This record gives sequence, structure tokens and C-alpha cells, in this order.
Amino acid sequence: MIEQGIFWILTLFLVGGSLGMITSRHSVFASANFMLAMIALSGIFALLNQSFLFLAQILVAVGAVITLALLVIVSVNIHQRYTPDEPNMRRWLAGVSLLVLPFFVLLINTAGKMPISFKDVPAEFGTVRGVGATLFSDWVLPFELVSILLLVAMLAAIIISRRGGDHDA
Amino acid sequence: MPEYYLALAALLFCIGLVGAVSRRNLFVIYMSIELMLNAINLMLATFARAQNDHGGTVMALLLIAVIASEAAVFLSMIITLFRTNRTIDADFFTNLSQEQNP
Amino acid sequence: MNQTLLLLIVILPFASAAIMGMAYLFTSLRDERIYSFIGIATPVAVTLFSLILGVQMLSNDTTFVIHSTLFEWLHIGEFQIAFSLMADRLSAVMISFVSLIGTLIHIYASGYMRDDIGYGKFFAYFNFFLGAMLLLVLAQNPIIMFIGWELVGLASYLLIGFYHQESGNITAANKAFIVNRIGDFGFVIGLALLFLAIGDKGFGFDAIRAHISLVDPGLLAPIGILLFVGAMGKSAQIPLYVWLPDAMAGPTPVSALIHAATMVTAGVYMVARFDFLYELIPSVGLFIATIGIASALFAAIIACMQSDIKKILAYSTMSQLGYMFVAVGLGAYSAGIFHVFTHAFFKALLFMGAGAVIIALHHEQDIFKMGGLKTRLPLIFATMLVATLAISGIPPFAGFFSKDAILVHAFAGGHIYIWAIGVLTAFLTAYYMFRLFLIVFITPAKTAHRTTEVGMSMKWPLAVLATGSALTGFLGANEAYGGSNLFGTFIHLGDRVHHVDHSTEYLLGGLSVAVALAGMMLAYLRFGKGASEPKADTPWRALAINKFYIDEIYNALVVVPLRYLSILFDRFDTLFVDGTINLMLLGYRGAADAFGTLQNGKVRYYALYILIGISLLSLAMLRMTRSPL
Repeated sequence: MIEQGIFWILTLFLVGGSLGMITSRHSVFASANFMLAMIALSGIFALLNQSFLFLAQILVAVGAVITLALLVIVSVNIHQRYTPDEPNMRRWLAGVSLLVLPFFVLLINTAGKMPISFKDVPAEFGTVRGVGATLFSDWVLPFELVSILLLVAMLAAIIISRRGGDHDA
Repeated sequence: MPEYYLALAALLFCIGLVGAVSRRNLFVIYMSIELMLNAINLMLATFARAQNDHGGTVMALLLIAVIASEAAVFLSMIITLFRTNRTIDADFFTNLSQEQNP
Repeated sequence: MNQTLLLLIVILPFASAAIMGMAYLFTSLRDERIYSFIGIATPVAVTLFSLILGVQMLSNDTTFVIHSTLFEWLHIGEFQIAFSLMADRLSAVMISFVSLIGTLIHIYASGYMRDDIGYGKFFAYFNFFLGAMLLLVLAQNPIIMFIGWELVGLASYLLIGFYHQESGNITAANKAFIVNRIGDFGFVIGLALLFLAIGDKGFGFDAIRAHISLVDPGLLAPIGILLFVGAMGKSAQIPLYVWLPDAMAGPTPVSALIHAATMVTAGVYMVARFDFLYELIPSVGLFIATIGIASALFAAIIACMQSDIKKILAYSTMSQLGYMFVAVGLGAYSAGIFHVFTHAFFKALLFMGAGAVIIALHHEQDIFKMGGLKTRLPLIFATMLVATLAISGIPPFAGFFSKDAILVHAFAGGHIYIWAIGVLTAFLTAYYMFRLFLIVFITPAKTAHRTTEVGMSMKWPLAVLATGSALTGFLGANEAYGGSNLFGTFIHLGDRVHHVDHSTEYLLGGLSVAVALAGMMLAYLRFGKGASEPKADTPWRALAINKFYIDEIYNALVVVPLRYLSILFDRFDTLFVDGTINLMLLGYRGAADAFGTLQNGKVRYYALYILIGISLLSLAMLRMTRSPL
């Protein structure tokens, strides 16, 4: 029962944060809302017994990514005059939501028909030990590939930013 | 119970989709895409929990790494675009249009 | 051996035409001696080969036929068309005199065309023309014959328009080509019908002859008429004769070649070649004879009023061809071919003599500006006299025997009207030929003019032909005149035989000679002392001088309506067809602009388009699963 209550509260924050993110006109407000949503999402992970995922989410998504985004927003010092004023934003949001609706209904229908249910899981589920054992046994190759991806992304980020700097100068 | 989690994931994905398509602010578009990826993460975690299988968890972990890479590249691109054009309006960039921009 | 000769006869002229054409086109070789050597050596060789074949025919029986297949051309299922040649007695005779007279005309042309800028081209065309005619004659099946038929038309087009710097000549060449095309259309439809009827039994002349009785008799008549339509075009009969007078635009040797050796005789030859077919449909034969005699009379009347030396000869050719068609139409195939044979000699002679006169008088063609040339050009005078006597039907010259054979046949066959008109035409022929002859050679000239010397190469072919015109008649003289119709016996065609006793034959022959002499007398009385151009003072004369306004009538009936029709179609094309296309173009452009607007370069919109697709797909899937909501 408590679990369900927590789920609803977290869902409230999650959905509210997401909606706030896509509706706010200012970048900083948007990223604040987004951070809220991400934190709530990590809570949902905890509800699902995914302790390691919870940690990773807090560390990476919230800690690194959001911070980075905020840093960027602040560092480029986006003044209100640089952000688009988007006069038709609400109309766009409404129209696109209408378009997405059938897709959403389809997804909900599919989710409702899933023949799955939550059973009790061993204590090791979702812990660093359990996930690590799987990660380094069955998933070694994807893991290594992702590490290469990260390396490439880092290089790309540096090069793209630098080239832009050169251009600017 | 898992249906709720899946439905939540679907809702988050759709919100992200709406944001990515309808907004012009590059930051918001970026964050909407993040949101969609995270919705997938949530779905993976739900399936892992329901199946009692760590595969989904591991996939979600790897996806977090992908999100991080994407964030790095996307943000550096925003910086570059902003430096050269002094705007973060997505509609400003029309290099793909049929009329060749100077 | 024989087969190789047969192939060589056809291939040699084409090969030398190709060689000379290449040399003329791609090299700067302009030495007339080289071209004339190649150009004359080829027909000489062909003549020799033809004579060798002809001699072999003489020594073998009538069934002796030489076949030679170059390659298989078409092979579809059981149906085969081979590119093969055939020489029987008829075609042996044809190639012999075609190549012989062709050779003489080539020699003459080497002198006539001297110093012409297109000398090499001329000889290339000339050999090509000869080769096409030989192919036509030696064809083993009608398809190959049709190829030769068309190539002859092409060669005549090229040669008539040889002086293509003048637009009138081009018009004449086009006219010849187009009128021939009309005839060829009939010919090819006739061939197609024949092929539909018995093509599955094989399509060589032998096979057709063997299976002709299988064809539905109702179908034979259209086939015969359609094939004859082709002959009308090639052999210049009513109503498709209009190209022949205009064909005089070409150099005179070309006229000689067209009128004597090649081209116009093709129609007569074709009918004789299909003798087995026409033998089954005598009514069509009568139709052919009627057209022939009408053409003969018609052309003779026009010829009486012309003043251009070459046009007079052109109309006389048409008139003589009419006689030939009377012969083949009434079943006297060998007499028809015999007239082709003798006519080739004297008509070539007449044209070459006329050409020599024209050259001597610096390209003057109006006979009323000539006169008194007897002393100046004695050899031409003598040879032309022989030719004129021959064409007028004065014994013992060649024309008498061949023309008489035809008229006697018509008389004996009971076709009195045809015979009577034939005799009348003979009178007119003698009249207009002597009119020409007297005005050019005897009557004193009104204006003095200088003549230039005519070269040897233009003189001695005349002598050879004059000998031929004088003597070849005896080859076909029948028993009444002390001969034994060697020619007719030799070529061995399926003639209809009418028995005529000798007294009737003498009577008819004497009558035609008397008529011819009367024509000559009339000509002498009117033009012996002095000549003036015919004036259109009475309506009938005006009609004849203006060639019965046939050109104008054709122009009004065919050319002008066609022109208006093309203008109409042009309007239709620009307004309706182009309009439709332009309208569609406008639609496409509008659609392209609309889609181009979609392609505005903003990624957001692209995502929106994708989303619309996703949305619609989702809706479709929802409807498929019939889930609520």
C-alpha cells in the first residue's frame, strides 16, 4: 500500500516535471523542471528494487547531465532576447498532443495487455553485486562498446566546441 | 502493477515526443529527447523487475551511458550553434530547405 | 561456279558503289579516271557474268534454274526467308540487257559528267542503282524483290535530285519518291495478302507458283490489283505517272538509265514474274491492259505538244510502257518483255542522243531553239534517226517487231478497242517522234548557235545502241516475218496463245506501218520547213500543252487538302496536345511547389511529418485490433 502511495506521489512529480519542462518558456525553468522529473524517476527505479540503477540515475542523469546542461545554459549566458519567443507555442503543443494521442492510446493498450506481473525477487536483485555479475558475464562486449562510444562522444564534444570557437574568433 | 509503470513510461515518452516536435528552444528539444530516452529506461527496468532478469537493468545502464554521450555532443553543438548564430531557435537553422541559404 | 557468278552480279555493283562512296566522302580523291575506271569496270564485269549465265541457259533446257543463297535472313518457326537469288531464263534475259545497256550508259556518263564536282558521287549512285535493279530482277522471293524495288526507288531519288543546289530538282526528287511510295504501299499490301494466303508453304517464287491454286480466287484479284498498283508507281502508269516527266531534273544519263535499263521496266518485269498469278485472273489482266493503253494514248497526246526534248522522251517512255502493260495484261508476257528489251535499246539511244545534243548546245533543252543540226552532228543525227524509226515502228527496226507482236496479240485476243487505240497511239508516236527529230536536225535553225564537240566516250555507245536498235527486232520476229520468235521461245513464259494466220498478220503489220508513215508525213508537213512553238490557241491544245492539268488536279485534290489537314493537326497539336501537357506540367509544378514548401529546412517540421505518419499508423492499428477508444 505504501509502495503504491509512493508510486503515485513520484508519478505526480515525474509527470508534472515533464509537463513543466516542455511548457516553460525559459531554459533555466525548463531544466529545473527536468531535474525534478529525473529525481522522481530515480525514485521510481528504487521502487522497482533497482538500487544500482537508482544510483546511476542520480549520479549520471541528475548529477552529470543536468548539471552540465545548467552549466551550458549559464555559460552561454542566454539572455531572454536570444531565446525564441515562440508565439504559437501553446497551439503547437495542443496540436501535436492531438497527433500523439492515437500513438499513446496504442501504447497504453499494449501495456494493459502485457501478461506480466511483479513477483517477489531475490534480495540480490538490482544490487551492485547482482547487476555487476550480469554486466561482466553476459554483457561484456556491449559494455566495452559503450565505453568506446563514450570516448568518441567526448572527443566529438571537444572538437565540435573548438571548431565553433575558431569560427567565432 | 507493472502496467502502471509501463503506462507511466508511455506517458513520459509521449510528453517527450510532444516537446521535441513542438518546441523551438534547442535546450527544451534536447531535454525532451532525454526524457524520451529515460522513458525507455523506465520500461526496461520494469521488464527486468517483472521477469526477474538483470538483462533489462544492464541495458538501462548502458542506455544511461548513451544518454551521457548524447548530452555531451548535443550540448557542445548547441554551444557552437549559439556562438556562430547568436540564437538557439531551431527554426532559424534551415540549411536543409530547398532554397539554398547563403 | 554459277552460284558465285550469280552472287557476284548483285554484290559487285553494291561493293563498288560502297567503295566509291567511301572514297568520295572520306578522302580527297577526286581523280575522275579512277572513279570512271571502277564505275565502268563493274558493269562490264557484271555484263560478262550475265552473258555467261545466259549462254548456259541457251544450252540447257527450260527448267534450268540457278539458285544461290547468301544467308538466311529470317527464320521464325517454320517460316523462312532466305536472302537468295535465282536466275531463270526470264531473269537471265533481264540482267543481260540491263547490265549491257547499263554499261553503255556508264561509259556515256563518264563523258557526260566530265568536270562535274560530284563525279565520284555520281558513279557511286549509278552503280548502286544498277545493283538495286539487278537485285530486284534476280530475287528468289518477293521479299528480296521488294528490297530491290525499294532500293531502286531510293537510287532514283538520289539521282533525280543529283543537282541538289536547285530547289526545283529537290521537289522533283521528292515527287518521284513520294509517288513511288504510294505505289509501293499497294505493292507491300499485295505481298502481305499473298503471304497470308500461302506464306506458310514457303514464299519463294517456285513455292508460290506451286501453291497458287490454293489461294481463294476472291483474294487473288485484290492481290493482283495491289501488286499492279506498285507497278503503276514504278512504271509510271495512270494515275501514278506524274513523277516521270519531272524526273528529267536529273542528269541525262540518269534519265537514260531510269527509262531504258532500270526502274520503269521493273513493273513490267514484276507482272511477268507473277505470270502464273495473273494467268488465273484474266479480268485483272484486262484492267492492267486498259490502264496501259490509256496511259499510252494519254502520254502520246501530251508528248505531241511538249517543247522540252527530255520531256517528250519521258512521255514517250510512259507511252511505250503502256504498250508493255497491254502485253502483260493480255497474257503476252514474252511479247511484253520483248518490248522491254527492244525499248531499252532505242530509248537509251534516244536519251543519250538527246543528251549529246544538249551538251553540244550548251545545255539547251528547248527543241524550238535547236534546228539544222544534221550537218553539225552527223553521227548523232544518224543514230537518232535509227532510234526514231525504231520507236515509230518502221521495219526492220526493233520497235516494229515488238510493238507489232503486242498489237497482233490484242487483236487476236478479241480486244479490238485496245488494238485500235494502240494503232492510234502508234500514229501519234510516229508523229511526235518525227516532230522532235525534224525540228532538231532537219528544220533550219532560226537562230545560229555554236556547237561544241562531243567526246568519243559519248559517241560510240550511241553506235552500239543504234546497231542494237536496228537488229534486235529479228530476235523476236515470228514466223510471218521469216523468224521463229527466238526470244519468246527462249524466255519461256506462260503466254496465252492466239492463232493468227499470216495474211491477217501481214495486214495488221502493214496497217501499223502505214499509220506510222502517215504520222511521219504529217510531222513533215507541219514541221519540215519551219517550226514554231505550239500555242494554246484552242481549248484542246491548251489542255494538251498543260498536260491535261493533271498536276494541278492532284495538287488540288491531294496536296492542298493534306496541307490544310496538317495545319489543322498542327493547331490541334499546339492547342490540345501541348495544352494538355502544359496543364499537367502546371499541375506538377504546383505539386512540386507545394511539396517544396513542406521542405522548409526546419527539422522540427520534418519530425512533425514523421509524427503524422506515426499517428495515422497508430490509428490504423487501433482500428485493426478493434480495441475500444
